[in-house]
Amino acid sequence: MVIERMALSAKDGQDGTVDEAYDGSDRVLAMLRRRRTLPLVLIALTWATAADAQPLYQHLRIVAPAAPGGGWDQTARAMQQVLQAEGIVRTSSVENIPGAAGTIGLSRFINVERGQGDVTMLSGLIMLGAVITHQSPVTLREVTPIARLLGEYEVIVVPVASPYRTLGELLDAFRERPESISWGGGSAGGTDQILAGLVADAVGVSPRRVNYIAFSGGGESMAAILGGQVTAGINGLAEFAPQIAAGAVRVLAISSAERLEDVDAPTLREQGVDVVLENWRSLVGPPGMSAADRQKLENAVEAMVASDAWRETLTRFRWNDRYLAGEPFARFVADEEARVVSILEKLGTGGGPASSGPGLGRYPMFVIAGLVLTAMAFTVSTFRSRPVATRQQLRDAGRAPLAQPDETRAGRRAMGWIALAVLLNIVLIERAGFILASIPLFWLTSRAFDARHPWRDAILAVSLSVGAYLVFARLLQISLPAGLLARWI
Amino acid sequence: MDTFQALAQGFASALTVPHLAWALTGVTLGTAVGVLPGIGPALTVALLLPVTFTLDPVSAFIMFGGIYYGAMYGGSTTSILINTPGETASIVTAIDGHMMARQGRASAALATAAVGSFVAGTLATIALTFSAPVMASFALRFGPAEYFALMVVAFTTVTVLLGASLVRGLMSLFLGLALGLIGIDPLTGDARFSFGIPQLLDGIDVMILVIGLFAVGETLYQAWRHGRDEEHVIALHDFSGMTRDDWRRSWKPWLRGTAVGFPLGVLPCGGSEIPTFMSYMIEKRLSPHPEEFGRGAIEGVAGPEAANNAATAGVLVPLLTLGLPSSATAAVMLTAFQQYGLQPGPLLFTARPDLVWTLIASLYIGNVMLLVLNLPLVRVWARLMLIPRSLLFGGILVLASLGAYSLNRSLLDLGLLYAVGALGCTMRIHIIPLAPAVLGLILGPMAEQHFRRAVAISEGDYLVFLSRPLSATLLVVSVIVLLAPLLLRQRAVAPASDRRHDPP
Repeated sequence: MVIERMALSAKDGQDGTVDEAYDGSDRVLAMLRRRRTLPLVLIALTWATAADAQPLYQHLRIVAPAAPGGGWDQTARAMQQVLQAEGIVRTSSVENIPGAAGTIGLSRFINVERGQGDVTMLSGLIMLGAVITHQSPVTLREVTPIARLLGEYEVIVVPVASPYRTLGELLDAFRERPESISWGGGSAGGTDQILAGLVADAVGVSPRRVNYIAFSGGGESMAAILGGQVTAGINGLAEFAPQIAAGAVRVLAISSAERLEDVDAPTLREQGVDVVLENWRSLVGPPGMSAADRQKLENAVEAMVASDAWRETLTRFRWNDRYLAGEPFARFVADEEARVVSILEKLGTGGGPASSGPGLGRYPMFVIAGLVLTAMAFTVSTFRSRPVATRQQLRDAGRAPLAQPDETRAGRRAMGWIALAVLLNIVLIERAGFILASIPLFWLTSRAFDARHPWRDAILAVSLSVGAYLVFARLLQISLPAGLLARWI
Repeated sequence: MDTFQALAQGFASALTVPHLAWALTGVTLGTAVGVLPGIGPALTVALLLPVTFTLDPVSAFIMFGGIYYGAMYGGSTTSILINTPGETASIVTAIDGHMMARQGRASAALATAAVGSFVAGTLATIALTFSAPVMASFALRFGPAEYFALMVVAFTTVTVLLGASLVRGLMSLFLGLALGLIGIDPLTGDARFSFGIPQLLDGIDVMILVIGLFAVGETLYQAWRHGRDEEHVIALHDFSGMTRDDWRRSWKPWLRGTAVGFPLGVLPCGGSEIPTFMSYMIEKRLSPHPEEFGRGAIEGVAGPEAANNAATAGVLVPLLTLGLPSSATAAVMLTAFQQYGLQPGPLLFTARPDLVWTLIASLYIGNVMLLVLNLPLVRVWARLMLIPRSLLFGGILVLASLGAYSLNRSLLDLGLLYAVGALGCTMRIHIIPLAPAVLGLILGPMAEQHFRRAVAISEGDYLVFLSRPLSATLLVVSVIVLLAPLLLRQRAVAPASDRRHDPP
């Protein structure tokens, strides 16, 4: 037993380094190794729940498909804390890949992490909606489902000064003239807008007539609600909890099925609106995960959600425990997807018929027209008044721009060196790693400016690249492509 | 009186050795990440979160505050020395700061930035201490209509960034606006001009445009000129910092920059770039020698650098009093608050006064530390100008590639960086100013969104911008800003014609 345990931890150590390098042959070896050690993994899992267990992972990477500060980032960092504190992983890192409500992170996760065993990504209802809204070329069906983690209810609030005392009053006004009620919330196609659509649908108003004002980020929409800029606001309960506690907003309804103990507000259902919505967050693994890796990740998650530290985290962030793994989780995702697709179609966000028309909108037309006109004016003015331009150049640059033939050649040669440097940098950075990509970038650029000491420059190039890598990747934990060299450092 | 007592207690708690040590760590780290293009305080604080799990919340927030303030100090350094803004809030600093550096006055530019940051940081922290709740409730009166009007005021600053030719300046502005169209339309969720490339859905990052136009563009431009006529960079001859004349010309811009920066920082959608642009415009308008702007006017460094630091303090107002994160860094700090089971918001001041007041006290201390740290460093940094160009540009490209790639870990961003660099070089060759393009990319999407939100809320009534008093006032201000120079010039045309021949 003891020997097997040691073998397992040694294997884990190798996994960490192998997966950092994007190296095909090593990956095959690692997969062979994994298959052989499958029984060992299973044995180790029984220890994972024990307090003094060996860590399941030497290093686990958690991808948050959002910028620092958002919900996914929060969850990822909370997980990181619990996983490390409980000794389920030795170390872990959070990588933020922000953009387009998680779909950019999703597409990168699918393309870059395929088959990796030590990485997981946050996902959830918002990503499900965004994949549809933004017509993402990749979908959640391509990744490996691991588990649902938590859920957050939504609240419908009005500013304290609002004339609407109850949801009934608000909805009466809404039925009468839907556009007169502006609903402020998060980004288009997100959970907040989905709830607005569901509520409209439930009270017999076309979701298309919801005057939904999308704000980018919780802070902006909260400011608009607190300041009474919009009639009503829809947002996550946790985000609004401090405002509710301070009496800065009035809660008209909560999207849970039953009343909550700590929030003095009726549910939507109680008030005759048959809608229940919970914004859930989940974990996924990369596509092409081996069975053993999937099992290992599922077990790490199971160990995490069972810990006291995780319970404490859930209470602190006001998250509901919604742990669900395996086949039931996959079924749940399929059901939710069907519901989201149907409501988003009714709302007409994203590629709906309302938006795919030929009109670009007035503002883009104005900008493009402006660009074309000024560019034409510029071309005409330089063409017509060459001497003027030259005089201006004289004044701005402070000397004559008339170039001798061999002088232009020197400039062209310098540009050539830099073009080569840049091309090599783009080609090498993900294939050979940051260090090997930066050395030629530095060295070739110094060639462009006629540096006279190629060997000295080479030494400087190596030390600058290695130094920058050490400072950023190792000290500040910014993930840069490691490549071949970094493994030895 | 209550506030003074609470603040005194905060100082007593902040002036302990461990807390001072965390403040020092924070400001040092902050300065370091501020110097580096592409790596900002938000990412740094997020990366440090796991490290701080083991700390008590007070120490952690002292360090975070230090990082935030420090980043604004550091951002100016690369702007001035190598024409590469370390943060978006330091773009304006590059215009005159770098010209000063080329004239051998790098240390004066760095010093006015450091002292200005200190003055603004301290004054703004005082404002934060005494007026936070009032300012926060004022900020909530800003709705989409007011924000749009504010953007209009900000757009008028382009008039001072245009450079020699109106056509060139406007072309640069429209280029920025056009680049701003790329990405998801945030109000409907539709993709615009993304050409089916998923990475473009979120638009072009401002930092990519800034690093590309300025750092890479500069490198390529110097290569293009290579052998043609070596640019005359005056060797650094003066390490002494600011002269008496520099002080005389700097102190008013510092104060005006603070006055512009703090209130705009408090606004939940203000951002820290807009106050720097506005401060630059104000300084140029008020200057007795506006022709120096763009050629190394110290006011053009002093004002914006004060403005961005004051804005940073302003951001803490809605965060602490309302729990509203109005910048990326504030959003991460909000997460950190929650990690410790704290809810920033109306109740934080009563629930955890010790934490709030220690944090505020440590902001004062952090400012002093930053000044002490940065003023002696000015001489060290200024010597960067003595590095041979062949090595300097290599180093710039390596750091630029690192910054651009680490933004989203995307190869496309790296490609875009170099493409934008080529564009920047072309613009330099044709004497097209770079700053309006950046202004367009920052303001264009914001102006469009706020406009459409305001019109949607008012159910299609375009008069909403004039019927709301605040927004109407702001629009009037922008008209005055646009027309005043024309009117003044007409009136002063006769006497000014004599003076024009002997510039001061």
